Amino acid sequence: MAAQPVPHPSTDRKRVKVYELRNNDWFDRGTGFCTAAFNSEEGQRNPRVIVESEDQPDRVLLETRICKDDGFHKQQETLIVWTEPSNGIDMALSFQEAEGCAMIWKFIHGVQQQYNAANPQDDSLSDDLPMDMPNPITLPQASIANLAEIESQMRMMSGSANGRDALTKYVLAEDFIGRLIPIVSDAEDLESLNDLHRLCNIMKIIILLNDTSIIEHAVSDECVIGVVGALEYDPDFPSHKANHRQWLEGEGRYKEVVRIEDDQILKKIHQTYRLQYLKDVVLARILDDNTFSVLNSLIFFNQVDIVQHLQANGKFLGELFNIFKPGQQDASRKKEAVLFIQQCCAIAKNLQPPARQTLYNNFIAHGLLEVINFGLKHNDVAVRVGATDVLVSMIDHDPQMIRQTIYRQIHEKRAPLTDTLIDMLLVETDLGVKSQISDALKVLLDQGPPAQAEAFAKANGEYAARAAPRLPPSQDPQQDQFLTLFYENSAAKLFQPLTALEGRTSMEFTVHEASSFTYLIEILCFFIRQHHHRSKYFVLANNIISRIAQLLHCPEKFLKLIAVRFLRQLVGLQDEFYVKHMSEKMVIGPILDVLIETMPRDNLLSSACLEFFEFIRKESIKDLVKHIVENYREKVQELAYLDLFRTLIIRYDQTGGFTANMDYFLEVEEDVGRRRTNINPRTGGPMEHLTTMDQAEEEYWNTSDDEDDLQAKSSGRTSALNGASPSSKLLVDYASDEEVDDNIDAGAISADEDGQEDGVRKSDDGLPNVGTPPERLSEKRRREEDEEDDLSKMIQHKRRNSTSATSNASSTSSLLRKKKGMVGGRDSGGGPKKISISLSSNLKSGDGQSGNQADDEA
Amino acid sequence: MSDLDKAIAQLRACRPIPEAQVREVCHKARELLIEEGNVVTVTAPVTICGDIHGQFHDLMELFRVGGDPPDTNYLFMGDFVDRGFYSLESFLLLLCLKVRYPDRMTLIRGNHESRQITTVYGFYDECLRKYGSANVWRYCCDIFDYLALGAIVLGAANSFPQPTDSTRSEEYYDPDIEIEVCDADGNVMSRFRRDNGTSGDSEQKSPNGTAAKTGPPGSGASGSSGGTVGNPTGAVLCVHGGLSPLIDTVDKIRLLDRKQEVPHEGAMCDLLWSDPDDIDGWGLSPRGAGFLFGADIVKVFNHRNDLSLIARAHQLVMEGFKEMFDASIVTVWSAPNYCYRCGNVAAVLELSEDAGGEGIFARSNGEVGRSDGGPGARGVLMDAENGALVKGGPARRYRVFQAAPQDSRGMPAKKPVADYFL
Repeated sequence: MAAQPVPHPSTDRKRVKVYELRNNDWFDRGTGFCTAAFNSEEGQRNPRVIVESEDQPDRVLLETRICKDDGFHKQQETLIVWTEPSNGIDMALSFQEAEGCAMIWKFIHGVQQQYNAANPQDDSLSDDLPMDMPNPITLPQASIANLAEIESQMRMMSGSANGRDALTKYVLAEDFIGRLIPIVSDAEDLESLNDLHRLCNIMKIIILLNDTSIIEHAVSDECVIGVVGALEYDPDFPSHKANHRQWLEGEGRYKEVVRIEDDQILKKIHQTYRLQYLKDVVLARILDDNTFSVLNSLIFFNQVDIVQHLQANGKFLGELFNIFKPGQQDASRKKEAVLFIQQCCAIAKNLQPPARQTLYNNFIAHGLLEVINFGLKHNDVAVRVGATDVLVSMIDHDPQMIRQTIYRQIHEKRAPLTDTLIDMLLVETDLGVKSQISDALKVLLDQGPPAQAEAFAKANGEYAARAAPRLPPSQDPQQDQFLTLFYENSAAKLFQPLTALEGRTSMEFTVHEASSFTYLIEILCFFIRQHHHRSKYFVLANNIISRIAQLLHCPEKFLKLIAVRFLRQLVGLQDEFYVKHMSEKMVIGPILDVLIETMPRDNLLSSACLEFFEFIRKESIKDLVKHIVENYREKVQELAYLDLFRTLIIRYDQTGGFTANMDYFLEVEEDVGRRRTNINPRTGGPMEHLTTMDQAEEEYWNTSDDEDDLQAKSSGRTSALNGASPSSKLLVDYASDEEVDDNIDAGAISADEDGQEDGVRKSDDGLPNVGTPPERLSEKRRREEDEEDDLSKMIQHKRRNSTSATSNASSTSSLLRKKKGMVGGRDSGGGPKKISISLSSNLKSGDGQSGNQADDEA
Repeated sequence: MSDLDKAIAQLRACRPIPEAQVREVCHKARELLIEEGNVVTVTAPVTICGDIHGQFHDLMELFRVGGDPPDTNYLFMGDFVDRGFYSLESFLLLLCLKVRYPDRMTLIRGNHESRQITTVYGFYDECLRKYGSANVWRYCCDIFDYLALGAIVLGAANSFPQPTDSTRSEEYYDPDIEIEVCDADGNVMSRFRRDNGTSGDSEQKSPNGTAAKTGPPGSGASGSSGGTVGNPTGAVLCVHGGLSPLIDTVDKIRLLDRKQEVPHEGAMCDLLWSDPDDIDGWGLSPRGAGFLFGADIVKVFNHRNDLSLIARAHQLVMEGFKEMFDASIVTVWSAPNYCYRCGNVAAVLELSEDAGGEGIFARSNGEVGRSDGGPGARGVLMDAENGALVKGGPARRYRVFQAAPQDSRGMPAKKPVADYFL
């Protein structure tokens, strides 16, 4: 090889972005300068591509060896893609200039050609540029008569890697697609269905060759209509003909709000639409993973180019935002402009954060906020949806950006954006806008990680280690002022529908009112978790708890349910203040009433109520137990045919009502002790959570002075630092108030014991999925695993804001805790107490990961 | 024809109904579903179906094979949406049928009936494309929160009813048949007799003569599937995923507050995400949610809860159904040629009504500690423990079917985006 002539290494530095494919998204590894050269090391000359970071010149972003004849591919003018041989990750270099790309490509290509030449099997392939290559294969002349022959030859060749390669080169070199296109109309004229089916098959084979150049060519202006025309006659559906041409030729699909001058960009816009159409409609059924990801990459890079171009085009932006300037009357143009911006922002979600940031900055500089303001107040619901969408995507990107605006508005004594949002929320009828606004409000008023985690860390020293990284940075004074203002002025307005319940006797509500309650109570729950003293004062001052408890008297079950769930959240906080407050307001009685009323029936409402009391019993919230039995003994007695309520009474009677301010810490210990005995082998067999009362009660009293258990417990505590915390569920739950809504019931049923955290497994699970293993249809067996869902993977996707979707930030910690819950669950969950994380399951998880790729596509 | 019937007719033609009507249907469905317990009680006869995944035309095929609702009672074990291109039509049709025939349709929640999952796997996009806004998706997701988490089938017969009509001319009637596998046209493909402990009937159990204990098709040819080791009067628990370490009795499922997004952990999550696996005890699930559980777990659970069988879905099985762990649990999969390319067949499980009523046993309702399964069940369990006659589970007829014939539908595809700016 060394004897071969080598192309002149391209040593010029070229500015380039390095991308890596992670979970089907292109992840930006950074910007730098690319060099390609031979690097002499250990006596060998290794051809290498190196990218050095732009910001830190001594950092190497990428170093890869060219070691195969077909590893690298050039796409479009400025892209080079390849699969890293060492780890199978798909990589891409996106050059700033086509010239730079061409230079590097020339070097890579030259090296690859040499490998080609050195490989005797492939010596039919030339060592020159592919275009000048003599054809290693030839297909019969493209004509109707030859279609059968062409199809069978192509089918055969597409079966092997070499065949596919040769076929790809042939199709490109001969413009085979271009030659097929006239035949389609010929065959249509002859009404020869057989030939049309063959043409369709041939076209499918060509596209599934999975070559970016071919696909780009297929969606080009010249070819696209012919290509989808051939694909309209799918032999799988002999009696059908699709109408792709009609759809793509349809006038007016493309809306041009502001003229885009750049022809290249305009072309890309159309091309992208066609690629999407190809992916979603034409090929939806037959796409394999590889072609799917090639299509996605093409779309992605096109969109990046388009958005980058637009946001940097001052003239364009000026014209776009001018549409909203006073004096402009064209209402439909304004609407379209809002929708245009909406689409821009939707695409921006896929961009890397810095690029997105520039886009938003430029938009804001041109007056995006006024546009949002305009859109939010528009009477066309589509415009309102558009404007909220834009707002939400900005908030998703960086809430601080919007908060700054709000601070400025406050500073200038103008009504802050949040007030506009509140006004809208109260009158908005469109469900979608409503739920997005309520999400937006939550994010804007979020003040970072809950301070309770901090307080908790103080109270339980051993927990500090884990809690520490989550502590919020020093409170932002502006946000603080904003919140103060919010609670002084806006909160009352926001929750007015709730406070207005006071004195109301009729509990019949309109659909609109009912849905308001849903949102408001959800927002309130969020505030209660986030803004501790402020929300407490607000709840107290407005007697919110009694108001919401009024809903328990609604005839509508789902409203009762909302109230039960709200109170359950309060209990879940295990905050002394709320426990006291709830007792004072006597709101638990009505829940008992609801339960008694519903009880013979087994429905959603009775389950929710039972869960409420089960939580109190399980967590042994003594003040509440005392409150319930002291005040509602008769009602509880009425329900005493249920173990749960019998236990409550007995517990109360045994303590003689004495729960007086016992040190909280002690209580916890006592509880933990009790729990430990639950799984103590000496009690024999797996413990059902709801044991007979004598047993439960016996343990309850025995264990507080059970030294063994206490010791076991405290040793568990110390080991918490190593990530194992077999102490109480309580501890864990408490630390994670931020997501009470989705986790409260997690342990509420019977998991009393938290087990050891399986740190190793956790890291296993957290591995990102890399690479896209090729997958053939024949591997059906493997599919069994591939098609399965994988939550951990899903979690990595950006979640859409939705009414009761759980908070984004919590997913990691919730996963973490899941692993902890697991061992405990195993202990208490009945059945033999085998702890078996078998090796096979470990292996499986590996399998699952490699196979997960299919998920995205399927 | 009521509006609802019109909506059903329109959906059957695979055409979406207007947004306002979706809201109305969801509203009615909410009122119905809120009255259902976390574990719905269903009486046989019933046809149990697994994942549908938006394969509308295959759902139509399922109705053709299994009988049209309301003539057949159906129990769908979740995963109505995502992946296929007609999640919207499939789910709304099932929901409309539920509202129209509340006692004849049972829908329980699958892991895909969740906001998070549907935003990733297709349902969200589909709604957005078909309506231009996500509102219908929101309505549907709100309904998902109300869906029951499981179902208990009571009164399933232990033997197939004696054929009364000659149309389905069975050549002989054998009360000892436990499993019957039919093709899409109702022709019996194979039968399996109950293993009642007596030796000598192995020739029936091993049609291919390889082993004395060859499992029925769908059982993955496991050599250990020799009929159910359970009690014949037990109920059948239906749940989308599987068991949870936090749930040791069916009654504990009733203590969950299910009206919420599927959590990432905890009992509710496990019921929808877990899978049975050939391990001992519990294992971590590669899915990142739920657990793997072994035969021992299933057997103890079934014993404790007087179940003869757990029916679940959640995993693709190429044969449409797969019995595991001595037929103590079965996976039913009802999406043929999954994702339009997996090449699998689908199945539904028919449980017939027990004429003698011996299959019915008392259950507690919603509270804990009272579920001793009734005296009858206890008696049987004791028998089993004494090594006396162990009869198999309920008589099970699997109807296996393939993807709807290509001609019967248009080409499956997503709806294209109508207008574009970029």
